[in-house]
Formats: sequence, structure tokens, C-alpha cells
Amino acid sequence: MTDATRIQVSDSPSRAALGRRVLPYAMLSPAVLVTLAIVFVPMLQTAWMSLHEYVLFRPNDFNWIGLENFRTALADEVFWISLRHTVIWMATTIPAQLLLGLVTALLLNQDFPWRPVARALIIIPWALPSVVIALMWVWIYDSNYGVANEFLLRLGLIQKAIPWLADPDTALASIILTLTWQGFPFFAVMILAGLQSIPRSYYEAAAIDGASTWRQFWHITLPGISGVVVTAVLLRTIWVANSFDVIFVMTGGGPGYSTHTLPLYAFVKARTNLDFGYGSAIAVLFTLLLMAIVVFYLRRTGKAVS
Amino acid sequence: MMKLTKILGLASALALSAGLAHADSTVRFWYHFDNADNPMDELVAAFEEANPGIKVEAENVPWNSYYDQLYTAVIGGNAPDAAMVKMFAQPRLVEMGALEPLDDWLANWEGKDGLQDNLLDLTKGPDGKQYYLPVQYVVLYLYYRPSMFEELGIEAPATCDQFREAAKALTRDTDGDGQTDVYGFGFRGAKGGHDHWASFTLGAEGVSLTNGLTSEAGVAGTQFVADLFQKDGVFPPSAPNDGFQEIIGAFKAGKTAMTIHHIGSANDMVEALGDDVAAAPAPECGGGRWTAFGDESTAVLSSAEDKEAAWKWISFLSSPENNAKFNEATGQLPVVKADTETWDLHPQRFVKATVDSLPFAKMLPDSSATADFVNTAWPTAMQRVLTGEITAEEMNAEIAELFGG
Repeated sequence: MTDATRIQVSDSPSRAALGRRVLPYAMLSPAVLVTLAIVFVPMLQTAWMSLHEYVLFRPNDFNWIGLENFRTALADEVFWISLRHTVIWMATTIPAQLLLGLVTALLLNQDFPWRPVARALIIIPWALPSVVIALMWVWIYDSNYGVANEFLLRLGLIQKAIPWLADPDTALASIILTLTWQGFPFFAVMILAGLQSIPRSYYEAAAIDGASTWRQFWHITLPGISGVVVTAVLLRTIWVANSFDVIFVMTGGGPGYSTHTLPLYAFVKARTNLDFGYGSAIAVLFTLLLMAIVVFYLRRTGKAVS
Repeated sequence: MMKLTKILGLASALALSAGLAHADSTVRFWYHFDNADNPMDELVAAFEEANPGIKVEAENVPWNSYYDQLYTAVIGGNAPDAAMVKMFAQPRLVEMGALEPLDDWLANWEGKDGLQDNLLDLTKGPDGKQYYLPVQYVVLYLYYRPSMFEELGIEAPATCDQFREAAKALTRDTDGDGQTDVYGFGFRGAKGGHDHWASFTLGAEGVSLTNGLTSEAGVAGTQFVADLFQKDGVFPPSAPNDGFQEIIGAFKAGKTAMTIHHIGSANDMVEALGDDVAAAPAPECGGGRWTAFGDESTAVLSSAEDKEAAWKWISFLSSPENNAKFNEATGQLPVVKADTETWDLHPQRFVKATVDSLPFAKMLPDSSATADFVNTAWPTAMQRVLTGEITAEEMNAEIAELFGG
């Protein structure tokens, strides 16, 4: 005890430095440990399962088959259909949400009466649980009673009711519209926060220099919010790519495979067909693809923003 | 916060002492009733009074994810002690080693002879042992709207050809606005609709899920369904995605003139339509008839802590009076003879259609592929046929391959 005290006293400057270096790790470790336990361990487990033949109702057969599941996936028609839908899903939903969010944020940044109320209301789609949104839109699209058909029929835009979710040509687009509606408030709120951090004086200076509204937007507003937009797009990309709850409730992936996306396909394979080996392989493939997209995105936008 | 902790502590202490006071063992039972207002609590109370020392925890698990939950619970080591189960799940559950054979208990059970004939044979396990104790049954038949048939001067269809003609005639624009208001048949294209398809397809001579599905007669059945939708337009356009709620809702609302379901929805339909709903056996297609025997049994799981207690509970549910009460909630038919004789829950015409359909009622194959057929293979393939993505041959080939044919 006395020894230790003495050493501590004599080494105190370097001890303090060591303490400062260790402290962040010590403080972070509970969070890291929890993340390791509930995210990384299951991730490793998934990767491990994807290398095995593992069908849940035959729990005793857990056979190593190497990359066989991956080979099967690459030769599986449904995998490619789902991949195509995933690409369409991401490439349309995210830009649509971003655009709608941007327009909404610009509107909400103006001065008008009841602005706080409008800001609060805009959050509603984002705050509702996905299942509620999905069920609500199933009724909107319903071919017998749905308000969408009723509306379009009365406007004379269509001649007879369209089964939006039962027609493979419109099912995916209908769900994309639903998800766009659900997700745009996130962009609106993030961008609005970004807009409000741009000092008014920039606009005043630009106005004095005779810059048009459009040039002000292009040279002041956009650079001002670019940091926020990059982060928001990154987050939304990951969320939208992974989200299948709305699809699952609205069509369950149908009709046929017309609204299958990769996460949904992995879920159906694992949870309904109980084929955990194959389901895991699809999930692993999808994770790799998503990771590639995210890395590419960060590289590109990282350069552009800085 | 302190207060909450105290209340929680007190509540758990109370629960614990209540548990200790009169329960030596607990039976965790899973069931699925669509009807939230059901007599399960009464049944549990009656059972607990008759069997002091056994406590029953009955949990109503939503049907849509019932089997997903059950399989996962079995694998996760958290299975219930007893559960309501259907035949299609039996091969898989037996393969998992999840079920306890009931043979020894059955041999000494006084209620055995009171069950409807043949039901125990029908529900026998793939290895010859008895794992399932029947608790209710139904047979699918055709529902139709007599007023619409009378208006057109046609009869309920007895064959597929008559069915097609009737469906075409019944599909009408009744108010002259250019929109179809009534469709001939409400087809269930989503999960659970395989019974509709099977009635049109598997009745043909030499065609079953495990044999002859890719023959000309087998493909003709699937093509018949596809033509009804694509050429004749006698299904509502939403048919590929329609499930139970949609087909029953559309029939009750007068959007469809016919559909196929079992006696479980009879009272609901009578409530909505009064006398203007009738029943007939499913039509004869391709020279024979096929309709689905809808079964529901209970089973004791091999992981149950007190198997004896679990058996007592499930046999209680298949005993006179209790079985009737159970079926009042599900709207299906009791398996106990004594309860069938006094049965007055359904109008006679629906009981008659059920009994008339019994001779050709069949069950899905005793194969572990059946679960995939029901849950994913059939709905996906049927939807793709209806929307023209694949042909009837391709669908039948896909299903035949699943069953190893």
C-alpha cells in the first residue's frame, strides 16, 4: 500500500497523462461492450451461420458447407429480382425524400403565421409507427374502398379502379410513395436546423452585391446545409435500405416477387421458411453491398464537402 | 421511482404467494382465436377448479405469426407446454422432436370413444404415433348469394364449367356507371388461398400435390384459375393480394357473389346478409371434387415441465361441453359426438354443406414441404400466375419440385 502510494506520487505527471488517455476508453467501454454484445456478436453469428446448412426445424443438422449458400444465392433468380428492387427502392426513395424535405425546410424557414404549428405537424408522418403507416396506406390504395382510386376516378384521371398493390407494375412504386411520405420530415427537420445556422448577414451582403435569389440559394444556402445533408443522406440510406417493415405489412413482398427487396427476402427465408443458413447468406451479401455503397458515398461526399 | 419499485415489489410478492398458494405446476398454453372476446378464461377457471394444483396460463398468439413464433420458441427453448396445432405443421414439429406422443394417455382416457369417428386416424403422426388430439374441425365449401342467382335465373354451380358460366354472368355493373360493382368469385390470392386453388385443381383424376401436378389435367386446373382472372375478369382486381379479411369483407359487402370458406364465417355472414347467403359443396372440377379438411388439434410439447398436467388440460378441451364452449368461440365444429348432437350455433344449411362435403374432404400431404407450400411457395407462384409473370405449367412444376415430384 505504502509502496504504491509512493510510486504514484513520484510518477504523478505521467500517471495523470496515462489517466487522461485511459479515461475516454473507460467511459466508453460500457457502451462499447453493450454494442459488442448485441450487435457484433449476432453479426459474427450471422456470418458463421451463412457458411452452414442450417434449417431451424432440423436443429441437429448444422453442417459446414463453405460458400455454397452464396453460390446458391448468386444463381437464385429471386436474389437478382430482389437486388434490382432494392436498387430501385434506394435510388428513388432517398432522392425523393431529400427533395421533398428540402422544399419543406425552405418553406418552413420563411416567416408566416402559425409557423411553429406547421413545424410540429410536419413531424407526424415521421413520428407514426411504420405498421400504422403501412395499414393506413393499404386502405388508401384499396381498390374497392380506397380514397386514392375514388379521388382519381372523380377527377377523371383513371377510368376504372386500379388495384395499386395487387398489380406488379404499380405495387413497388406505391410503396415507394408511402415511404417517401413517411421519411421526408426527417430531411425537412435536419435541413431546417442547417438553414437556421446560416448567418443572415451572408444574405444581406449578397443582396447588396446584387445576387439573385437563385444565386443566393446556390452559393450560400446549399454550401451552408451541405454538411447536414451529407449526414442525413447517409443515415437515411442505411435506414431505407434496411427497412422492410412497411413492405412486409403492405404486400408481404407480393404480388409474386414484385415488392421483394433483399432484407425482406432474407427475413422471409429465415423467419418463414426457417432456412437460417441461406437467409444469413443473403443478409451478409446485402451488408457487403451496403457497406460498399456507404464507403463510396463517404469518399465522394467527403471530398466534395471539404 | 421508489413508490413504483415498492408497488412492483408488492405486486410480485402477491403474485408469488398466489402462485404458491394453489399451484404445484403451471401449464403454459398457446392458442389462436380471431375473436378477442372468447371463453378461454371461463374454460381455464373451470379446469383449475376441477384440477386443484394445476394452473393454466393461456396465451392468445396472433394467427399471422403463430407458427413463426412457435418454431422459434421451440428452438429457443422457451416453448409452451401445450399448444393448438394444425396438421400441416405436424411433420415439421415431429422432425424437430418437439412433440410428446399421447398414445399411453389416450389408451386410458375415457373421452376417447366420444370423439367423432376417424378423427384420431386422420391426425395420426408420420411415424404412426398419435401426437395430436383433435379439438375442432371444418370443411371448406362454396358460399353464394341466392338473391343474385335468382335474379339471373341460375342455380348454384355443381361443376367447374357451370361455375365459370355463373361467375361470368354474376360479374356485373349494377348501377350503370361503367364500373364493375359485383364480381363473380372472391378469390384468395394471398397466403391461405391454396384451398381455393386446390378445389379447382386437385379434384382432377390422378392429380395431387405429390403426384401428377405437372400432367395436362393438373396444369389445366391452374390455367382455369388464371383464365377466370385474366380472361373472364370474374375476380376483383385486388385478388392477388386478397387474404381472409378481404374475401370475407367483399362477400359481406356484396362485392362478390361467391367465395370459398368454412363454417367459421357463417354466423358473421348471416349477421351481415341475413337469409341472403347459402352454401353448397365446392364444384366438381376435372371429373372429381376436392375440398380442404380444416383441422385443429392440441398437442403436448416434449419440453413441457409437467406433461401429465398438460395432457389433463388438452384432454379437458376435447371433453363434452368444454369442447362445445371452445368451438363457440372459434365458430367451428366440435369433435365430441355428444356436443355435435346438441349443436345449434350455426344455421342448419351450413352444417349440411359441411357434412355433404366431408366425403371428398382431404388434407395437405404429410410432408415437411407442406409448410413452405402454404406459407411462401403457393402464394408467390399463384400471384405470379395471376399477374402473368409465369405460366400455369411453371407454377405446377415449381410446386411439384417442392414436394419432390
